[in-house]
Amino acid sequence: MSKPRVAIFDFACCEGCQLQIVNLEEEILDLIHVVDVVEWREAMSEQSHDYDIAIVEGSITRHEDELRLEVIRSRCKILIALGACATIGGVNKMKNNFDLNDVKECVYGKDAKMPHLNTDMTKAVDEVVPVDAYIHGCPIDRKEFGTVIRALLLGKRPPVPDYPVCVECKAKENVCRYEYNEICLGPIIRAGCGARCPSSNFRCFGCRGYVDHPNVEAAKEVMDKYGLTVEDLKQKMILFGSKQGHTL
Amino acid sequence: MCECCSGHPDIYLPQMATITKRRMLNGTELFLHLEMDSGQDLRYKPGQFVEVSLAGIGEAPISISSSPTQKGLELVVRNVGSLTKAIHKLQVGDKLGIRGPYGTTYPIEEAKGKDLVFICGGIGLVPQRSFIRYALDHRNDYGKIIVLIGTKCYSMRLFREEIALWQERKDMTVLETIDEAHDCWDGNVGVVTTLIPKIENELPGSLVLICGPPIMYKFVLISLAEAQVPEENIYVNLERRMKCGVGKCGHCQINDKYVCQDGPVFRYSDLALVPEAI
Amino acid sequence: MSVLKFTPKQFDDFVSAMLKTGRPVMAPQAKNGRFAFGPLASPADLRLDYDVTILPPKKYVLPQVETLLEFEVCGPCRSVQEGQPMILLGVHPYDLTAILQMDELFRQGQYDKHYMDRRCQITIIALDVVTPSANVFASSMGTATVRSGYDILLTVLKDGSILADVATAKGQELIRLAGSVVPASEADLKARKDVWEHNNAALNKHILLCKPSLLPKILEQNYNHPVWEEKARLCYSCGSCNQVCPTCYCFDVQDRVNWDLKTGHRFRCWDGCLLENFATVAGNHNFRKDRAARYRHRLYRKGKYVPEKIGGQIACVGCGRCISACTAKIANPVEVYNRLLQDTKLG
Ligand SMILES: Cc1cc2nc3c(=O)[nH]c(=O)nc-3n(C[C@H](O)[C@H](O)[C@H](O)COP(=O)(O)OP(=O)(O)OC[C@H]3O[C@@H](n4cnc5c(N)ncnc54)[C@H](O)[C@@H]3O)c2cc1C
Ligand code: SF4
Ligand code: SF4
Ligand code: SF4
Ligand code: SF4
Ligand code: SF4
Ligand code: FES
Repeated sequence: MSKPRVAIFDFACCEGCQLQIVNLEEEILDLIHVVDVVEWREAMSEQSHDYDIAIVEGSITRHEDELRLEVIRSRCKILIALGACATIGGVNKMKNNFDLNDVKECVYGKDAKMPHLNTDMTKAVDEVVPVDAYIHGCPIDRKEFGTVIRALLLGKRPPVPDYPVCVECKAKENVCRYEYNEICLGPIIRAGCGARCPSSNFRCFGCRGYVDHPNVEAAKEVMDKYGLTVEDLKQKMILFGSKQGHTL
Repeated sequence: MCECCSGHPDIYLPQMATITKRRMLNGTELFLHLEMDSGQDLRYKPGQFVEVSLAGIGEAPISISSSPTQKGLELVVRNVGSLTKAIHKLQVGDKLGIRGPYGTTYPIEEAKGKDLVFICGGIGLVPQRSFIRYALDHRNDYGKIIVLIGTKCYSMRLFREEIALWQERKDMTVLETIDEAHDCWDGNVGVVTTLIPKIENELPGSLVLICGPPIMYKFVLISLAEAQVPEENIYVNLERRMKCGVGKCGHCQINDKYVCQDGPVFRYSDLALVPEAI
Repeated sequence: MSVLKFTPKQFDDFVSAMLKTGRPVMAPQAKNGRFAFGPLASPADLRLDYDVTILPPKKYVLPQVETLLEFEVCGPCRSVQEGQPMILLGVHPYDLTAILQMDELFRQGQYDKHYMDRRCQITIIALDVVTPSANVFASSMGTATVRSGYDILLTVLKDGSILADVATAKGQELIRLAGSVVPASEADLKARKDVWEHNNAALNKHILLCKPSLLPKILEQNYNHPVWEEKARLCYSCGSCNQVCPTCYCFDVQDRVNWDLKTGHRFRCWDGCLLENFATVAGNHNFRKDRAARYRHRLYRKGKYVPEKIGGQIACVGCGRCISACTAKIANPVEVYNRLLQDTKLG
């Protein structure tokens, strides 16, 4: 049996998730033992149009990118969205909350009029083409990357949790941030990171996106009970919570 | 190792079985005939299920479709997810892990001397077939055998040759319907409940055994209530999410009942206080 | 068997002696201002005065993740028993009651060798509660003290001395490590009785207004009570109430494959009936789709379904953990049961 051919592509992002793959260290050897990496700008110079699995990092912010992504989709059998930018639009989505011209001026100042800086509303990969598997997180969790890839190689649906971060947080026996009167987005955010932030004494700020049916009404009332307003929460989650459908 | 555990088998450890026959029954349903590698037949009764596993892919509950009166084990697997997809790729000679048999059985003893009415919707025919074949193999033990079969569309019909043979038999009645009309079909069109009026006279005194998709039970049970079939005479075969199959993991619970242990076959009158059942 | 009396110094020596055997000793220790069971390194870390741990000691009898089998992909499987000898030190009576219930549930019907093998190798040193936690209501549930089920039971007396009630051969074997300690006097036993009487009344931050044995009956009459909807409206389906509960034992089973794609293991891990897809099957049909139905299921499990399986004992031991863990503040079983009680006519 020949090894599946894998290509890794990046769009608008910090490439931090690819870096996580590079950092797999020993596991990267395991990885290339079971797949052929045929294109990966960050790690090699070759390019290929012939691949089975495309791993796409980054969010889609320009029309040219949409076209490029559609070509990628047409060439692969399995398309994986890698990292928060690709799965939910990530940090880039923040700009959707503002007027795009304001964003541009704010970021680029007087250069903002340059045509190559024209961008559209940020889209997650699945807002442009169908996605077969998601590796959530900002950055991704290396262990989960391995689990998802191995499941896909065996033809299995990857075991990505459909429950909130609290499950993993409780399993780790962390003291809940709410006990310190802090807000934490854990109850409405998809698990899978092993409750990375609460385990380091920091609130979950939602980088893996919402669970399928977050109880947003509950979130509002609970904020109230803790003497916090929805505005407070918005400040806290604006990084990742922008326009994902369930925005508070 | 402590003394209190010795001698107990591991209830989660599958036994290997080999596929001896396979054929597609339609576009999505695969029929498998298996032999246990131990050489010993599983000692099962009609209505029970096994946990089927492919190590690395997963495990799932699958009804036993054969009758204990025959050799080997027959299953029908619908391609709906990870494991079932992988099973569909297997060939004769390939192996599967089997745990079980688990669960309650059809009332094979109590039903002796009584008329039997099987109401089957779609893949619900699969476990019912076990008891139908058992009853046919012990034909003198049972009264009339009536089988109602409803399938969504013509191409989804299961066990066509076998049903044709049943239809030729003088000692049983088989009525079939499909939900949507089809050029090659000149039989009944409509959901399975539309067959019930045709056998209404046979219902009082019969044991009625139902298996089908979740939505079907409600409608069939209303029809049976109208026909005044006592709830004690009705058996339903229920499906739920399962993980362990042995009454531990909690997934299959309907109120206080465990479908994997107290079911899958339930006497309907036992479900009066089980609102989650139907 | 016998009751011995330790001075604090002697007790520390006893703990040190247990640690020297190399057997892991799991005991309550401070963690970020709360308490948690963990491997004990020195007697100084042991907190006999802990109020409640974030997770119950069930994590040692039914670990969050437990390997059941090892396998070759699509090939044969081999049973794996992960259990190892262990000393569980400082288990409060309500948590012990929960473990005993779980023993019965995994033993009865189909014998669960993985659980039982692990459990048999654990020696439990129970401990009467010294500091009541903020939400404990064990007194209401009849679980504030225990008379059996432990290998050794510790009671800290007012003067700081520690009584050790040795109940089993396993306990006897351990206590040999203690060296020369004196038997408890009549006065000590009287003092211990006072602790019990005190705890039987004082571990009661939420008061259940009926005998626990009435709960199955009360629940039977209130399946469609409005409280289920009212409470569940704020439920996140986060499962925290399941995770922290000493009597919750539902699990999921999954296969994980190694990088060679040829070998792997099948494991079980904690699951919870409050989670949205606990009862979802292929094709996305969810048999318990409403938040309220999931919320209700937990309280029925605790108050009716499990009791019916284990001979009547209520499967809420009053530890109060779910009350603290629920960020929506809706998980308090006492609040719900009292509310139902109010609206129930008991014949
Ligand atoms: C008593 C009983 C008898 C059954 N008999 C048959 C049969 O004869 N033929 C057949 O094709 N199917 C049958 N099913 C349904 C079958 O178990 C599911 O289709 C199967 O579990 C899907 O597994 P998967 O891995 O392919 O799907 P996935 O969606 O990948 O499922 C993952 C896991 O979820 C659980 N699960 C998902 N769907 C179901 C379900 N419907 N019931 C129970 N657990 C589920 C299983 O643990 C499964 O491994 C039966 C179910 C029950 C409860
Ligand atoms: S800290 Fe956050 S993730 Fe952890 S339990 Fe509390 S709310 Fe949930
Ligand atoms: S805890 Fe929340 S923010 Fe942190 S990694 Fe996990 S999902 Fe992302
Ligand atoms: S802890 Fe509270 S919010 Fe979370 S599932 Fe339980 S009841 Fe619902
Ligand atoms: S239901 Fe709550 S109070 Fe009762 S045992 Fe479970 S966690 Fe403790
Ligand atoms: S059914 Fe729910 S309440 Fe009961 S043990 Fe399982 S998770 Fe806990
Ligand atoms: S399938 Fe696990 S309890 Fe029924």
